[in-house]
Amino acid sequence: MSENKLETVSSVADSYQANDEFIEELLNDAHLSATWERYHLVGDVMRGETSATINLDIAAQIATAIDKEPSIVAPVSSATAQRQVNKVKATLLQFTKPFAQVAIAASAAGLMVLGVQQNSTDNETLLPATQVVKTMPLGGVAEPVSLNFQPVSRTSEKQAFIAQQRRFQALLADHQQQIKLSSVDSSTSSIQNKAEDPAK
Amino acid sequence: MKLIPSLLLLITVSTSVAATENEKAEPWLERLAQSLQSLNFSTSFVVVKNNQAEPYHWFHGVDDNGDELEILSLLNGPRRDVLRKKNIVSYIEPELPPYSVVSQQITGPIPAILRGDVNSLAQTYDFISVGRSRVLGRPAQLIRIVSKDPHRYGHWLWLDQKTGMLLKLALANRAGQLLEQVQFTHLDITKELSESLRQLQQTQLPKVIEIPEGYQAQSLQWQVSWLPAGFTKVNANRHRIAATKKPVEFMLFNDGLVDVSVYVNPSEDRQRATDYVMDGATVVLNQVVNSFEVSVVGKIPAKTAKVIADSVVLTASAAP
Repeated sequence: MSENKLETVSSVADSYQANDEFIEELLNDAHLSATWERYHLVGDVMRGETSATINLDIAAQIATAIDKEPSIVAPVSSATAQRQVNKVKATLLQFTKPFAQVAIAASAAGLMVLGVQQNSTDNETLLPATQVVKTMPLGGVAEPVSLNFQPVSRTSEKQAFIAQQRRFQALLADHQQQIKLSSVDSSTSSIQNKAEDPAK
Repeated sequence: MKLIPSLLLLITVSTSVAATENEKAEPWLERLAQSLQSLNFSTSFVVVKNNQAEPYHWFHGVDDNGDELEILSLLNGPRRDVLRKKNIVSYIEPELPPYSVVSQQITGPIPAILRGDVNSLAQTYDFISVGRSRVLGRPAQLIRIVSKDPHRYGHWLWLDQKTGMLLKLALANRAGQLLEQVQFTHLDITKELSESLRQLQQTQLPKVIEIPEGYQAQSLQWQVSWLPAGFTKVNANRHRIAATKKPVEFMLFNDGLVDVSVYVNPSEDRQRATDYVMDGATVVLNQVVNSFEVSVVGKIPAKTAKVIADSVVLTASAAP
């Protein structure tokens, strides 16, 4: 029966049938109205009429995901940090509209934020940019090392090794982050002068 | 005929030869800086390190007001974009909400100084014009930026003879081993701004983060007593490392071309032997001495990093 009704909803959505009685029922039944809404959305998407709405919806989700991320500069008071996040969220929404490509990319990035956090809490910093190849005790012998490499010996040693790898990854990521934040202060005055005087 | 001085150089790196070659290398580097600042270009390059290749797109242009526009995007893996409009640089990365900083330069695989005043490096580096070769299907001039002391890597630059643009960049140790390479795979120089940059013009960048005054110049209870000549402190702060949430004290040093980070924090271990890894040319070195963990990160040889780590001394009041 329900199957039947859904079919009717579909027909109504496609304007094949307009039975007043059925429409009354549709409006009163939460499940059917939701279905009605979905069918229309599907239709709209197929006709390409909804891009703005959908973008904003995804953008809101990213904003929420991003909201959960730690703030960049740790000692900023939590209130200030929250305000900053809110501001970024607001600008992100504006950012979405005119620069469609980046907006889509940012959505993808947002989804990846979630994906990475859920699936690999163990090695979340394992990104191509921060991949580490070999480890060598200074002054000692080179050890063949990859993340799959398993020392034959005790588990404590293995744990220490994994902890060390994680430490290295974290440091490398932080180093790159700090450079970005510090370039604010780096001595760029000479560049500035040159930039203001565009060549020929 | 041009090969003869190059051969001489290969045989003996005598200072006199370097001096005569100096006169040739600097105009090349100045031309590179001009090109990187003023040309409308759209290029792709690949960073080769650790038997891996990271592809990037890089767009740059100057709009009608003379303001620079720039986009750098990593093409593999999670999206990482750097956008710049004049002096606002925005980073869009998977780990953090998008943010902007006030800066004239983007931070990426290409050292920012190459678009600036390379002569400011003359105290610590020699510039040597080595010779010609063919790169990206174009005649190229090879210029080496070589450290005067043995504590740093050399940068090798292949520059387009026609436009002065960068075609290839490599970091090499003193034995001439390449540790990291940036190979351009495509270069378009146009009169007009590219479509991506015109979109960037219309885009409102994320809010500039306000870094509290004095945050990057905190007084810490320790100091680094040895660094190669030319390094100056550009940042000193306390923060938490994002991945581990561990609080650290941090100093960042820069010699114009290379950044070196030093981290100090109390450790649960009393002693831990020095260990390090290489990510391309970047070394990450870590050790625990007397319950204090010291880490050094940067594009420097491991030996240099070790000496820097050993030179960290705690000032009296911070002793455990």
